[in-house]
Amino acid sequence: MIQELRILPPLAIARFGAAPTPMDNYDAVVDPQRPLGYRDLVPAETFEVDAQSGEIVGTFVPPRVTFTEDGNVRPVAPFLEVWALTDGGELELLTTGLLEDEGASSSDLQWRVQVANLKVFRRTSIEADKVSADTGDFSGHGRRTLRGTCPNFLPGKTIPFGHVQYIKPTDDHPGIRLRFTPAGGFVYGASRTLAPQAPLDRNVVDAVYDARPGRGTWLGYSDEDPGRPTTVPGGIYAQDPPASGISSGYLDDGCDGVVRLTLTVGGRELSAFGRVGAGPPTYAPDAVPIRTVADELEQALFGPSNKPDEATLERVEEIVRRAFETIRLMNTPAMNEQGNGMAGHDNGARRRFEPIMARSLVDEVALENLHESLLVALRSGTAPWFADVLRDYDEIGDLSDRGRRKMPALMRGADGRHLTLTRRQIDLIRTLARGPIFADENDTP
Amino acid sequence: MRSRITRHLGSVLAERVAVGPSAAEETIEPAVPPLELSGRDYAIFLLRLAAEVEHGLMVQYLFAAYSLGAPDAPEDRQADVRAWQETILGIAKEEMGHLVTVENLLTALTAPLNFNREEFPHTTPLYPFGFKLQPASLDSLATYICAESPEEWEVPEDEEQDIKNRADVAAGAPVNRVGLLYAELMRVLSDETTISPDDFNDASRAFQASWHEWGRGYRQGQRGREAMSSLPDLPAPELLIIEVGTRAQALNAIAQVGEQGEGLEPGTENESHFQRFLAIYRGMNELGDHVGVRRLATNPTTDLEGPDIGEPEDPNTTTPIVHEEAKLWAHLFNVRYRKLLVNLSHAFELSDDPSDRATLTPRGALIHRTFSEMYNLRAIAGLLVERPVNSGDPDGPRAGPPFQIPHTLMLPQDEGGRWRMHRDILDAAAIVIERLTSEGSADGQDYLAALGQADETERGQIELLIAGSALTPSPNGAPPA
Repeated sequence: MIQELRILPPLAIARFGAAPTPMDNYDAVVDPQRPLGYRDLVPAETFEVDAQSGEIVGTFVPPRVTFTEDGNVRPVAPFLEVWALTDGGELELLTTGLLEDEGASSSDLQWRVQVANLKVFRRTSIEADKVSADTGDFSGHGRRTLRGTCPNFLPGKTIPFGHVQYIKPTDDHPGIRLRFTPAGGFVYGASRTLAPQAPLDRNVVDAVYDARPGRGTWLGYSDEDPGRPTTVPGGIYAQDPPASGISSGYLDDGCDGVVRLTLTVGGRELSAFGRVGAGPPTYAPDAVPIRTVADELEQALFGPSNKPDEATLERVEEIVRRAFETIRLMNTPAMNEQGNGMAGHDNGARRRFEPIMARSLVDEVALENLHESLLVALRSGTAPWFADVLRDYDEIGDLSDRGRRKMPALMRGADGRHLTLTRRQIDLIRTLARGPIFADENDTP
Repeated sequence: MRSRITRHLGSVLAERVAVGPSAAEETIEPAVPPLELSGRDYAIFLLRLAAEVEHGLMVQYLFAAYSLGAPDAPEDRQADVRAWQETILGIAKEEMGHLVTVENLLTALTAPLNFNREEFPHTTPLYPFGFKLQPASLDSLATYICAESPEEWEVPEDEEQDIKNRADVAAGAPVNRVGLLYAELMRVLSDETTISPDDFNDASRAFQASWHEWGRGYRQGQRGREAMSSLPDLPAPELLIIEVGTRAQALNAIAQVGEQGEGLEPGTENESHFQRFLAIYRGMNELGDHVGVRRLATNPTTDLEGPDIGEPEDPNTTTPIVHEEAKLWAHLFNVRYRKLLVNLSHAFELSDDPSDRATLTPRGALIHRTFSEMYNLRAIAGLLVERPVNSGDPDGPRAGPPFQIPHTLMLPQDEGGRWRMHRDILDAAAIVIERLTSEGSADGQDYLAALGQADETERGQIELLIAGSALTPSPNGAPPA
């Protein structure tokens, strides 16, 4: 008997794309013989979904990984699966068979998806600036468009946030799933007139925001106006003139929200929910940033400390690999200087300007090589020796030479200060650093 | 035959060193250079000797540190042994700082640098003791304590005498204090009649090593703490990398280097090498001699037919590494050690002028590569200490890192030649890596694959530098190679 339902993954992140065909699956794999190289993108088994019926009509492994189609980026459109916690305490994929055992069918499931884009509201604090979409309850398998509406939009204007589709189970694929396909990744604009004046700003696909007098204030908004609940860092919106602090009135078609599911069986109502979000495409799919949302979630789930048997050199190696993969994508000499570099940000935080590192040391290729050499040595089995150089979470605002040179260096965290690893990542490295520096002598070949 | 060092020192050793520490400390006469040497030349001679001593101490301390960590220590004391290990590693790093500072002093005097040293075991009368690679023990620690000691020990008299007696027996002769050499340097460099102000080249600082480039955060207790957390009284390493452009800066550098060894200033007693070695000595004395220490062969070498081969645990003789795989790892270790020294010395040939933002040199890359090779030495040492030195005695002593000096550390005159030397070293490494990959055991293969790939990348970068250097005239005006 089904006791509870779960939507897994509990958080699915889609990636924008205007191409009609979603991305195929792939794995980013490290070649053990070339551990310093780029991760190989290995095509993986992918569902083929019929848009009309909503059925999975087959699976395939693409011959190669392709990110675009006719010049457009292919969106990443995640599936959310429904899992059932049954009497034995086991989680198993909810299927039509399991539903039949309960005297139910797939049409008894009720879905509802509510998403929103609150980026403008986050700055203006005006309720009428919230852009939201709601599918209402549905059980059918057709595509449900997520149409973002907003009280401060021009009449009839919306922002499409993509669509969701309840995948129709079949004998070959009896699992219960919902797919979220995000928007194309477009920018929308604002207009001071009811009928937007052509030509539109070349960056926008449509003017949707009503900026007429007495309506929305986003066009012309400034973080620097008195009383604004500014964010840290501030001013991260398109501005006209550039760097003026005055908003260009842009909106995008990103969104996040909640997927809800209810099922009534035997007079019991079971429910579950999951979260979806949409963000930009990954333009470096063969690299993983040094700190990701997954690290945050892992820390939230398992805590800031690692159990002794969880602390493995392989996990440290992965952090180091992500470090040099991150450096590959950085302009480290620029980050060491004024302007938009971290040294420039520190200058903005009222620290006297100085490069963070000696200028001779920040060539990105040399830094990448240095970090690669950490990984090389770790693969001998030696314990990490660089635990003390890691920046603690409470040192992100230390703008002394000592503080700024801690690792990860030359990078900004979400709060505008120097980036730090999660406490759980740091604890992993420190746990191993306290142990023997060489593998146990008893392991002698 | 007497070494060049001994020949030149003949006229001063008898009165300043060979008669013992106390007499030398009391010497206050003006510097009198040995015959054949001018005053400036004598300072350079002493600095080059100091570089050799610091280099030798660093390597011996690394070897001693790598020997620690055998699993026979009681479980509740293993963290202490780990802390001792990290402390000795920290002292070795500080010796590297001393070496680099001495090279800065040589650079300031526009003198030839010295990254060379003799093979182990070796001694000269100005060495504090006969240098040898041996595992940590009460004997070796006693020797290090005496070498790093101030003239006056603030420890119980019985203990002082015990340590000195043990050190003298272990070293086979009275152990000199390193401080004597620095005292003599201080005397020579202070003497304005011997060294003129013009002898110090302030502009040479652009070529010298700076803390900002080489310090890696080893200051104010910032690094080394984690592994030493079980013994919080042992201080974290503090790297001294001091740039020198004037006499006052030179004297300050020498004073600080000497201070770090002996800890003469009030409040710094626990931070000196002397005190740190003493703390470890006392801990090991309590735990038991050789407990927590790997049985490493002394003075391990890839030279199977050397003149001074002896028993594997005799510190006064060499131990050939005859285990086939261990020998290959030892060769790889030697190649990486050479690479480290060549990177280090090459970095001193390239300037870093902060006021010149337009000229980029590979100096930073060489500095990073130097550290990369330190990581490699640690990695290969870890693989060596797990392998027997002799395949005929699989349970016998382990092979330790040999630290054998390469056939030359002279750099070619022009950049193209230097980068070709780097390429040669990488090619030599590739041959050993290939042999180990095909003939070695599974343990270490992951490391070899990664190392081979890193070397391949570096070789590609060096090819570009060789090609680029062909566009630059060589310093003597000769056509580019």
